[in-house]
Amino acid sequence: MVDVPKVTQLLKQAVDPKRVTDRDFDIVAYSRDLSPARQKMATHIVMPESREEVRGILRVASDNNVPVYIRGGGTSHWDAYLPQEPGILLDMSLMNQILEINDRDLTATIQPNCTWAKLDQELRKKGLTYLCSEAGGPAMTIGGSVMKAGGGPHSTAKFGFHGNQDIITLEMVLPNGDIVETGSAAWPSAGKFKRQCVGPDLAGLFIGAEGILGICTEITLRIRPATDVKERMVAVMKTLDDVIELGHFVNRCVGDEYLQGFYLWVDPNSPETFLVMMDVFGYEREIVDYRKTRILEKIKELGGTLGDRAPADDYYGRILTGLTDIFTAGVWHFFGSGSLRIDDIKFLYRVWREELIEKRGYKKAGFGGQVLPRDWLAFMVTNYREPAEWEEIIRISDEINEIVLNGPVAPYGIGGRDGLRPFLEKRDTGYYRLLKTIKKAVDPKDILQRGIFVRKEDLI
Amino acid sequence: MKIEQYRDMIYACGRCEFCRGTEFSDRCPQIFTQRWESSTARGRMAIARAILEGKLDYSKDLRERVFGCFLCGRCREECKKAAKIDIVAITKAMRADFVDRGVGAPEEGGKMTSTMAQKGNIFADSTSEHTKWAQGIKFQKGSGTLFFPGCLASHRFKEKTRILVQVLQAAGYKLDFLGDDQRCCGTPMWVTGDVRAAKQWAQDYVKKLKARGVKEIITPCPSCFRAFDEEYPQLLGLKEPPFKVRHSSQVLEEIVAQKRLPLKTSVPKVVTYHDPCEIGRYRGMYDQGRKVLTAIPGVQLKEMSRIREQAFCCGGGGGLKIMYPDYSQQVSEERLRDALQTTASVLATMCPACELNLTHAAYKTDAPLKVADVAEIVAVSAGLADKAILEPDYISDD
Repeated sequence: MVDVPKVTQLLKQAVDPKRVTDRDFDIVAYSRDLSPARQKMATHIVMPESREEVRGILRVASDNNVPVYIRGGGTSHWDAYLPQEPGILLDMSLMNQILEINDRDLTATIQPNCTWAKLDQELRKKGLTYLCSEAGGPAMTIGGSVMKAGGGPHSTAKFGFHGNQDIITLEMVLPNGDIVETGSAAWPSAGKFKRQCVGPDLAGLFIGAEGILGICTEITLRIRPATDVKERMVAVMKTLDDVIELGHFVNRCVGDEYLQGFYLWVDPNSPETFLVMMDVFGYEREIVDYRKTRILEKIKELGGTLGDRAPADDYYGRILTGLTDIFTAGVWHFFGSGSLRIDDIKFLYRVWREELIEKRGYKKAGFGGQVLPRDWLAFMVTNYREPAEWEEIIRISDEINEIVLNGPVAPYGIGGRDGLRPFLEKRDTGYYRLLKTIKKAVDPKDILQRGIFVRKEDLI
Repeated sequence: MKIEQYRDMIYACGRCEFCRGTEFSDRCPQIFTQRWESSTARGRMAIARAILEGKLDYSKDLRERVFGCFLCGRCREECKKAAKIDIVAITKAMRADFVDRGVGAPEEGGKMTSTMAQKGNIFADSTSEHTKWAQGIKFQKGSGTLFFPGCLASHRFKEKTRILVQVLQAAGYKLDFLGDDQRCCGTPMWVTGDVRAAKQWAQDYVKKLKARGVKEIITPCPSCFRAFDEEYPQLLGLKEPPFKVRHSSQVLEEIVAQKRLPLKTSVPKVVTYHDPCEIGRYRGMYDQGRKVLTAIPGVQLKEMSRIREQAFCCGGGGGLKIMYPDYSQQVSEERLRDALQTTASVLATMCPACELNLTHAAYKTDAPLKVADVAEIVAVSAGLADKAILEPDYISDD
């Protein structure tokens, strides 16, 4: 049990008392995420402003054996920050500054809760941009993306996902309060310009770890000159095999750094219609036109039909500002999702069509995915009504997840007990054993994100 | 509970946080001032859901999160893209629940409403003080067109109100005025959740105006405009408003379109325009003020970065000026920053509450900018007012 009044008092000594709350109405606002995960209440919400304050909060937590959960923009899809047991929730909102835009080295250094949209606005004023993006809307924070190795509809074969490959250095506060840096930033007299140096890629240790090994307080990432030329295309392919061939083609011939988006969408009401949206960008018209021509030729060769580009404009154009009508049919849930080989998309499609639509009669979930970089990040997504349809969607998605994760699909994001953690913990893999070993070494009291990614009992 | 009727909407919140945006200062004035998630629309839907599920109850401590909303409608505008939740209606219902369940509005809000009910205006002005602005102006009793200035225009902006009436009369409008019989429109009542009293107030007011032969109301105040045009019909269960109601922006637009006033004097000013929430986002009236401004010779309209649907609140909405004046001031200064970035020397708007709040921000920060009503610029161009009224250092006798 958390001694709430005592911890409140201690937290108010660690940070400005105005930025500590234990009031139920404040806490309830943080008790859900974007997923159908059950409501989970923290005991306290704290808004730190600096790495030193984060360290002070961790000290209070450690001394009193209170777990700490870390929330960015609050749009997790898999129970990745909700308190699995009563504890302190850090609202990182105040750590949202852009610290430096270095247009010589092409790097930007930001605090973790800077949103992608905010960074994009500032970069564009200087003729710069970052390359890739999730479709998370305006609340999507860079720290949140990095801690889950974020990927989405904007990515490239060459540069990968923005929440991963584009990261240069990280500053992390470890559970023991130590403040560490990765990459070239780890060398005191160097700077923040290179990820892989000094030794092992320790940034990679934290990326995708969902905050269980440390709290991110600063990120340096790669940026690029803004691109002037953009082309968007929409095609309808006759078969999924054709989509696969097109996917292989763009990854070989035009997808290196020029094809930024390749997004497949199949509507449950028309499961034989394979809509593909593509986003090509570049610095020179001649090159973009050439790439576009190659894609168009391939689509033609495969017997696909070109369509109006308006849906692609709408989709890609709203990645940062918010997709239209996303909740008019109910609340979102992604399930049956993960990373898989380009050829293996047929497996996931079959599960969607046979297991979900035909056997279970659930016809509200669409099927889609992105084929860059060099593999699918695919998913099923539905809108459902809370609370009436909640139990049904949980039951169905658990069953589908079980089938999918027994196939050639690697989960993308783990989260807590209402996320994919139960699927991870029952598989006795070397990966999970190693992760537990690292977690025990770095966080022996299991303070950070207790119950997320790694089950508490597995650390004893 | 009144929020019960919005159950489906409350559960429809997908927690996307379009309502909050990219930054504290981006969209929502409440998160800008209060910071906690509970002060966003997303947070408020979580609170409302917890109340519906019996996990939370209305309390004095909670009031700041609900009465601290500026009711500016920015979140509702954003939610049109996502779940189409009428956050303003839900917030008003929550405020009404506070009253119905005996918790009540914040003290200053309650005082505002009782003052208004007892004295007829929110400032506790005497009748003679409240109608002072109209001294010397001839009105036509029984003309059927009532000029209704509202509390703020009567109390704080006497000169501006006089100028507006001069413009309307010069353009040929035959205006009636209630004079000593003028009372507040009742907005403070529903803003502070006192729906029962509001209903009675609306009933009495309609009766009084009908007895006077009022067919049309013209008002410079967006709250009064919406009171007669939206709130009264809602409170009284009417399908149509009991009177034709026009905001002064619509009338000024008509004057310009029909060339009812010669706008001959050049007003060589860079002017920026602030969209009042209650005629802008609430009613989609974005073009009226702009059309009038661009019809005035010499005026160069320079827009702020956030305009129309995306305009940031002035800080004067939702009763915050009275209930949480510090928050109100913070927001007005943020909005003023938008205006200053345009390099305009005149910040024009068409709402006494916006004018008051933005003027306070300009005074406090010593900004080189005059906050003016669009009608004042029209008056200067029509030769009805001295151009000095548009200078940043001009202070009226009000």
